Amino acid sequence: MALAVVAWMGPGAVGLRGQSPSPDAEPAGSAAALVKTAGKPSVVRVNVTSQAWDFVRPWGKRPPLSKRAVGVVLKGQRVLVTGELVANANYVELETPDGAVKVPASIEAVDYESNLALLKAEDGGFLKGFAPASVEKAVAGDGLSVFQLENTGTVLSTRCVLSTVEVGRYPFDDAPLLLYRTTVPLQFRDSGFTLPVFKDGALAGMVMRYDNGTKSAELVPAPVIEHFLKDASDGRYEGFPRVGMSYSNMRDPQFRRYAGIPEGVQGGVYVTDVLRGGPAELAGLKAGDVVLQVAGHPVDHDGNYADPVFGRLSITHLIGRHFSGERLVFTVLRNRERMEIPIEVKPRSARQQVVEPYVVDRAPAFYLLGGLLFQELSRQYLKEWGPEWTKKAPEEFLYIDRHQAELYPEGDRKVVVLTGVLPSESTIGYESLAQIVLEKINGKPIRRVSDIPAALAQSKDGMHRIDFDSDPGTIYMDAAAVAAGDEELRRNYGIRVLNRIE
Amino acid sequence: MVLRMKRTVPILILGGLFAWGTPRGAEAQPAEIRKSLARIVNSAQEPNYRSPWVPGQTGGGTGTGWVVSKDRLLTNAHVVSNARFLTVEKENDPKKYVARVEHIAHDCDLALLKVDDPSFFKGSAPLPLGGIPEVESTVSVFGYPIGGERLSVTRGVVSRVDFQTYSHSVVDSHLCIQIDAAINPGNSGGPVLQESSVVGVAFQGYSGDVAQNVGYMIPTPVIRHFLKDVEDGRYDRYMDLSIGTFPLLNPAHRRALGLPDDDRGVVVSSVQSAGVCAGILEPGDVILSVDGRAVASDGMVELDGERVQMAEIVERKFLGDAVRIGILRGGKPQEVRVVFNRAWPYGMQATSYEAQPSYVLFGGLLFQPLTRNLMGAYQFHSPRISYYFDSFVSREVYKRHPEVVLLSGILPDPINTFLGEFREGIVDEINGRKVETLKDVADGFAQESEFYVVKFVGIGRPLVLERSAVLAARDRIRSRYNVGEEQALPGAEKVRVGKAD
Repeated sequence: MALAVVAWMGPGAVGLRGQSPSPDAEPAGSAAALVKTAGKPSVVRVNVTSQAWDFVRPWGKRPPLSKRAVGVVLKGQRVLVTGELVANANYVELETPDGAVKVPASIEAVDYESNLALLKAEDGGFLKGFAPASVEKAVAGDGLSVFQLENTGTVLSTRCVLSTVEVGRYPFDDAPLLLYRTTVPLQFRDSGFTLPVFKDGALAGMVMRYDNGTKSAELVPAPVIEHFLKDASDGRYEGFPRVGMSYSNMRDPQFRRYAGIPEGVQGGVYVTDVLRGGPAELAGLKAGDVVLQVAGHPVDHDGNYADPVFGRLSITHLIGRHFSGERLVFTVLRNRERMEIPIEVKPRSARQQVVEPYVVDRAPAFYLLGGLLFQELSRQYLKEWGPEWTKKAPEEFLYIDRHQAELYPEGDRKVVVLTGVLPSESTIGYESLAQIVLEKINGKPIRRVSDIPAALAQSKDGMHRIDFDSDPGTIYMDAAAVAAGDEELRRNYGIRVLNRIE
Repeated sequence: MVLRMKRTVPILILGGLFAWGTPRGAEAQPAEIRKSLARIVNSAQEPNYRSPWVPGQTGGGTGTGWVVSKDRLLTNAHVVSNARFLTVEKENDPKKYVARVEHIAHDCDLALLKVDDPSFFKGSAPLPLGGIPEVESTVSVFGYPIGGERLSVTRGVVSRVDFQTYSHSVVDSHLCIQIDAAINPGNSGGPVLQESSVVGVAFQGYSGDVAQNVGYMIPTPVIRHFLKDVEDGRYDRYMDLSIGTFPLLNPAHRRALGLPDDDRGVVVSSVQSAGVCAGILEPGDVILSVDGRAVASDGMVELDGERVQMAEIVERKFLGDAVRIGILRGGKPQEVRVVFNRAWPYGMQATSYEAQPSYVLFGGLLFQPLTRNLMGAYQFHSPRISYYFDSFVSREVYKRHPEVVLLSGILPDPINTFLGEFREGIVDEINGRKVETLKDVADGFAQESEFYVVKFVGIGRPLVLERSAVLAARDRIRSRYNVGEEQALPGAEKVRVGKAD
């Protein structure tokens, strides 16, 4: 793979169109053709200052962090970047590649699950004259170019080959969506690797994860970008739909015989669970059903279908390609009988989950009760244990996160936990308590932080009774002492608000 | 007394060297003491949990023992654990004497040895047991540590007396004395003397990168407890209340429970349903006294003029003893009597010794009960397994799963080649029957059935094996993987258990 320094082609022409798509066409290390530029390129710098909430001390934010990345100008004078770049953004700014002009920008649409965001310059004139890039699919084996910007505004283009197209997990939600994988030696330029990737001058994807050690990059691919753009075009973004089922492969011939799959029937996956209240359950799909076809596409024994563009792909992509409200017919085998079940697909909101996979652009709910700090358990909180959070975070919380559907099948709630204690007169003797699940206050079940104030109003004999679901069981606090101590808590610890309830 | 404490566990100090020289007199020590010491050489065999049908690796180590009665030696349990062949040696005697373990107490890391040839004890007087040495007083450690082959004596000062985790079993805590004398591998089991009396048995320390000049010895109350327990010819283990308690230091908490501001009492936070207090104590009871001794709000009692943890009273009990507990329940004081009619029955969280691993192998699928030893042998990735292990007692997992049976491994064969996704699964049912123990797994597979349908906790799809396929593959799997017995169920060998506290 060669590093190619190119300038921009004439107006109307975009990116590297016309160059050889095959990176092997040039000997490695050779200088690529330099093309004189006349118009403005279809990429801009994007500067973001973000400030995440501190989930350990949920009343405050972490120090601001500045990031610089490269965005792509699309039609309608919008700029596409990754969602991660603008997460918890305080200020977003667009900058011409040469750094000559900077304008503030706003976020028009963002989807953390597909890790994409669409920006709009506040000064409408800023993007005029940028030729908008088109979006085009790439398939395994295609030559791609990753664009970075030098300080001078020169584009640094690094070529690579698209190695894999598959359904994989995205950073925020762990939700599976289509992604591209490639290996590419990227130089560290700005503070991150939100970079556009072109194929013959059209946008093929955005780098969303890059491993400096193995030089492997994961890209949000064109089909996901197209879906995002189309969804966002009506001003009401809904997200990638799902059916709410989990399934298991049906490779094992012994299992096929047990499940009563006739000899002549090929493929099929075994439904292991349907999400309560999800599209699959509402449509009547049941655990134990064997899915043979989705929307007319035969499903193989691993849950793949034959995609006309990409070949074998997980049915997750087939479902996600559609839009909220569309109906997909599932052909299933139940008790040896074939039936057709139309399922109206819908996105699953992260906020509806018991343990939210991410909490971004939003302050965490909390309640400081006389020094006892109660919060809603979220994966964002667990990630405070650092990159090794799946090993280091409290085991019980990891277990709740992982098995939330099994533990709280009824959904429609959060898990409120005591995350720590600020020593105060009210918390004498309670200092060691942390990382336990709150069950009730004054006998009222607490299913979210917003349940706490009403429960506190139910105190008996001037005492708040607090029940945890494990040791120490029950503790008490003096209601009047808690109220009287609030001012001191604020003053001593410099906390302006003692609770935040949505 | 909250059940889920984690801390740095000291390492054991068993010597790894086989070495022996001709000892000469160590000056300034009475000759009688030196005659009562023995160097113990243990040829041990560690069970193989990955391939439980094969005998384990042989290895061994050395330690120290001492004459505790006219014909018995005392040492650490970890010196003689998993022993297949034991010899003991004395100074000024070239002979190696064959020894046997008479009693072994893994919960307090002590063992009593017999020597086949009575002439071993000729000229060796039992060392007398002393009391608890004063903090700051000087003690001498005798033993055969690494760094040489002869008897070594080091001196140190008693640094503190406290409850400590005994790392041999990991789950047990007893009184423990910290000294600043150098205690090194091989010292294990050796006596610590003060004024010609044994005041402890050297048994564990920290490696140099954790803490320096920290050695631990088992004090005489624990030694005496062990010796008294085995007087009837059987070791019954330490007794335990199997409850969780929470200190009552918070004024509002005290008022809510109707307690005066007198720094007295701890509240019961949990009562193990498999423990001796089940049905007698309830969460919310306030423990005011134990055997008539006032319990302070931090859980301490006064015993022999010292403030010690409430558990220390229970530490002195034996099987069949009772304890009187003064409680406040619903604002009314009352006294309950708890009889220690059994030791804590579920020991999977403790490191186990002596017992051979139990297992069932069926269709190349290896089923094993979850234990600390199994956790050590495998690197499980499933968070469910860690959760079931760590909360086995605190969440009473034992009520549904007295044994947590895992599909721990698969011997690959065409009949199980598609079953890899079930590895690390916890068995819930076989052919519709709940699995509570490994025996239920063996029984389930012993039933004749066209299909064996195994359900795992939290996995929506069952594992299915056809009987005909399993039978056809049986000899193939056994010979390909050199499997001896296809199952070993816990039977005559008593699986040792630790404490819940």
